[in-house]
Amino acid sequence: MRVDVLVILLAMCIPFVAIKSMDLATYLYWTVVSALYLIYVALKRW
Amino acid sequence: MLIYALVLYLLIGTFIAVYAMRKVKSEEDYYIGGRKLSGVVSALTYAATTYSAFMMIGLVGLSYVSGVGALGFELFYLVGTIMLLSYYAPKIWRLGREKGLVTPGDLLAMRYGNKSSKVLAILVAIALIPYTSLQVISISLLLSKEIGFETGIILSAIIIALWAFLGGMRSVAWTDAVFGVFMLLMAITAVAFATALLPSYEFSRLGELLYVPNSFWRYEVFVSYTLPWFFFALTNPQVVQRIFIPKDETSLKRMVILFGFFGLLYTVLVTFLGLQLRLLTEFGVFPKIADRDLVTPKFLELMPKEFNVAIAISIFAAAITTANSIVLTLASMFSRDVIKTRSVVTGRVFVVAITIAIALFAIQRPAYIVDLAVMSSTILLCQLPLIFGIFHWKMGADFSATATLFAGFTTAVALYYTKATLGIPIGVWVIAISFATFFVVSMIEKRFKLERS
Repeated sequence: MRVDVLVILLAMCIPFVAIKSMDLATYLYWTVVSALYLIYVALKRW
Repeated sequence: MLIYALVLYLLIGTFIAVYAMRKVKSEEDYYIGGRKLSGVVSALTYAATTYSAFMMIGLVGLSYVSGVGALGFELFYLVGTIMLLSYYAPKIWRLGREKGLVTPGDLLAMRYGNKSSKVLAILVAIALIPYTSLQVISISLLLSKEIGFETGIILSAIIIALWAFLGGMRSVAWTDAVFGVFMLLMAITAVAFATALLPSYEFSRLGELLYVPNSFWRYEVFVSYTLPWFFFALTNPQVVQRIFIPKDETSLKRMVILFGFFGLLYTVLVTFLGLQLRLLTEFGVFPKIADRDLVTPKFLELMPKEFNVAIAISIFAAAITTANSIVLTLASMFSRDVIKTRSVVTGRVFVVAITIAIALFAIQRPAYIVDLAVMSSTILLCQLPLIFGIFHWKMGADFSATATLFAGFTTAVALYYTKATLGIPIGVWVIAISFATFFVVSMIEKRFKLERS
């Protein structure tokens, strides 16, 4: 398995174990991680 | 006002379809736009095909009842899709060019043999016709107060068939592009309207809805929702076929990246709307809704008539853009893979026949239609070993491919009805059984062939 695949999958799982705050932290985290992954694919992966 | 808006929608789409029809000269033109579509149009048709009425109705409601986990579920799908497309799409696109592939069945036939593509077409029809009927039912219910339920179904069916019939992929892709942008604008409008209603941004009132796991998004629930969608880009034929349409590799890359950003923005907007509506409920501005599919219709009642109509049309358009893409893909698979013709006329006949089947399902609403629609993505997971096999393994031929499809399909249906899953999501079972069948039967098939030779 490619390292970038493993990294993004683990990063997407982090809210299940590490974010329990009563605000939009989980929401913003998932949005930012997905956006960063898209930018990575656009610039580096292809 | 809704009637006028529907007429305007129908006229715009039909004008585009008639214009597209002039460019249909061959079977490739009809089914995959002659492999000449730009990256932007390809991206918008990929997005509009993927994002159905589920987004503005189902996902808003899911966010409302379950919280941020709905965003996680949908973004896992998006990340998985981009991951799979960035690796497999260039390979599939090049194979399409080199071998003249037009349907997802062609991919299997090229590698495993013709029987597998025929079986695939039948499985896809079993999975996607009820799913498409459910789309038609949901938008007809949305419009039922204004035009009646059955009229809604007939109108939907006419639009689905007409645009696909006239111009094929170009017509579907161009209308998808126009209405895809419209869907996005209306999602922004809905969020802006909900924002204006919010007394404050005290999101802490949402409690456990702000994190995962919670009482809804337990680990196994999250996996069972996410897994079938994670592989959507490789298992759902209407999106696989779209890999063939960009005119060059740069356009293919543009398709994938633009789709990704469209998907991210649309998903964030739609799930945020669900959270906003739940917060409005906590503030007593919006009624508490038990049935999550009624959250968006109730919200539309709060809006001024013009916005209400525009958003209703965008939901209608979302369902139509998904439905006509599925119908065209199914028509291409039945025409090319099952009865082996290379005629555009046959494809058009199938477009009409499949749309009639969808409308009949939608009008009769048999009890099992919801079951099949829910199962659709899980059923389609049975193709996964065959698609991976094309690029990674040399084993497998017609018998093993057919056995794999059959085993995966049977597993999905049997477990759905018996519930004997041992707490493991059905998608995991389907993947495990399909892969096991593929490897075991491939080895047996190879040994049998060796002995015979």
